[in-house]
Amino acid sequence: MKKIKKHKHLISAYIVSFVAVAFTLLPVTWLFMLSIKSKGETFTKPPKWIFDPTINNYIKLWDNDLFKDTFFNSIFITLISIVLSVTIALFAAYALKRYQIKFKTAFMQWLLLAYMLPEFLFVLPMFAIYQTLGIYDTYLGMAIIYQVHVLPFSIWMLRSFLEEIPKEIDDAAIIDGCGPLQAIYRIYLPLIIPGIVATAILNGIWVWNELAIALGLTFFDAQPITVGVASFRGYASIDWGGMTGSAIISIIPMVLFAAFAQKHIVKGLTLGSVKG
Amino acid sequence: MKHTPYFFLLPSILILSFTSLYPICYSIYYSFFNWRWGDEKDFIGLGNYLTLLTDKEFWIIIKNTFVFAFFACFFEIVIGVFLAIYIDRIKIGSTIIRTILLIPLMVSGISVTMLFKVMLDNMFGIIPYFLSFVNIKSNFFGSYTAAMPTIIGLDVWWQTSFVFIIILAGLKSIPHEPIEAAKMDGASEWEITRYIRLPMIRSLLLLVLIFRSIDTLKVFDIVWGTTGGGPGLATEALQTYAYRVAYSFLEMSKSMTVMVLFSIVVIFLTVLYSRLNKDL
Repeated sequence: MKKIKKHKHLISAYIVSFVAVAFTLLPVTWLFMLSIKSKGETFTKPPKWIFDPTINNYIKLWDNDLFKDTFFNSIFITLISIVLSVTIALFAAYALKRYQIKFKTAFMQWLLLAYMLPEFLFVLPMFAIYQTLGIYDTYLGMAIIYQVHVLPFSIWMLRSFLEEIPKEIDDAAIIDGCGPLQAIYRIYLPLIIPGIVATAILNGIWVWNELAIALGLTFFDAQPITVGVASFRGYASIDWGGMTGSAIISIIPMVLFAAFAQKHIVKGLTLGSVKG
Repeated sequence: MKHTPYFFLLPSILILSFTSLYPICYSIYYSFFNWRWGDEKDFIGLGNYLTLLTDKEFWIIIKNTFVFAFFACFFEIVIGVFLAIYIDRIKIGSTIIRTILLIPLMVSGISVTMLFKVMLDNMFGIIPYFLSFVNIKSNFFGSYTAAMPTIIGLDVWWQTSFVFIIILAGLKSIPHEPIEAAKMDGASEWEITRYIRLPMIRSLLLLVLIFRSIDTLKVFDIVWGTTGGGPGLATEALQTYAYRVAYSFLEMSKSMTVMVLFSIVVIFLTVLYSRLNKDL
C-alpha cells in the first residue's frame, strides 16, 4: 500500500515535469523550425511539419552587415565588461573577506541598491556625460555603465567563493610572508578559478541580453545584438526570416554557456546567499 | 598597511559612484528643471512632480505597472513553487529536467518577444490558427483586454524558472530528519510540504518575492518589443513611459522625474528586503 502511494507521487511528479518541459521547449522549437523553413513554407496553413530545411535565413543574416556588426559588438562589450568587473571585484572581495572594514554593511547595502536600480535611471545622465567625455556609443561606455549591475554581482559571487576557502590557507599565506597582492595572485586566484569562470559567464549572459540601457546609450557603432534582434520587429512588413534567425543566434550561445555554469546558477540568482 | 583594504575597495567605490550615485544626483537635480532636449533648462521647482502626479495618464501607467507586477509575480511564484515541490521528488532525470527548464532565463527579453510574436501573430501565428477552428478570433497584442494578460503570460514563461530553480535548491537543502519523523507520525505529503518544507525555506520565499517584484516593476523589454505600450495606454509601464517621454517627446526632465519617483519605490523595496532578511 505504502509503495503504491509513493509511486503515485512519483508519477504525478513526472507528469508535471513533462508538461513544464513541453511548455518551455515548444516556443523555442517552433521559432527554430520557422528559422530553417524557406520563405514560401514559413506560414502555410495548415503548417508543414515535414519540409526541406534551409539555412538561407542564416546566410542572409551573415551577409547583413548591420546585424553581423551587432553580434560582434556584443561580443566585445561582453568581454570588456567581464574583464573589468571580475578584476575589480576580486580585490574588493578579498578586502571584504580578509579585513575588518568600517561601513561594511553600508557598502554591501549600496551594492544591493546599485544592482536593483531601474535601468532607465542611468540612461539620460549617462547620455549627457558620455557626450562630454566622448564615450557615447562606444564599447567602453557600455562596459562602464554595465558595471552598475555586474560589479555588485561579481563582488558577491567572488566573496562567497572566497569564504569557502579554509582559514588555515589564509594563515599559511601570512606566515610565508606573502603580501596581499601576492596572496591574491599566488594563492586565492588559482583556488577560485571555477568561481571566476562561473561569475564571468553569468555576467556575460546578463550583458548579452541587456536592452534598455543599450537602446539609450548606443546609436550605431556600439549597438549590441539585442538592438540588432529588435531591428527586425516591424509593424508594416515583417522580415520573419531575419526575426526568427536573429533571435535563435542570440539565444544559442547563452544556453550553451549556461550549461557550463549550471552548478553555480542558483548561487548566482540568489547573489551568493544559497549554494547550488 | 592599515589602509590596504580601502585601497582594494577604491576601484569598486569609484566605479559604483560614477555609475550609481552620479545618475541619481543628476536625475534628482534636473527633475527640478523644465528641460526639453535642445532648449534652455529652466528651474521650475516641484513643477515636474506636480504635473506628473496630477496627470491622469501617469496614474494609469502606475496602475498598469503594478497590475503587471502583481499578476506576473503571483503566477511565477505559485507555478515556480508548485513545480519545485513536484520535481523535488524526482531522482532519475532531474538534472536534465532542470537544465531544460532553465533555458527561458537565458533568453533575452527581446528574443522572448520574438518567440511569442511569431506564435501569436494574428495573420500567421500558429495559436490564432488553432483558435480559429473553435471560432475564436484572437488578437493577442492588439486588443485592449488581451494585451496585458498576454504580456503577463510572456513574463511568466520567461521568469518562472527563476523561482523554480531557487526554491528547488532550497527544498534539496532541507535536512531529512524532520521529514522522516513527520512521516512516521503519519503526516500526509501535503501536510509535510505545508508545515515543514515551506516554513523551512521562508527566507528563500522572501528573496524570490522581493527580487521578482522589483524585476517585474522594472518591466521594459517585453512591453517595448511587443505592444510598445499600446493599444492606447493599455500596457504602458513606468520604464517604457520614461523611455517614450525622453526619446519621442524629448522631455528630458519629465522622464528623469518619472525615474526618480520610480527609484524611490525600488529603493524602498530593497531596504525592506535587507531589513526583513536579517530577522528571518
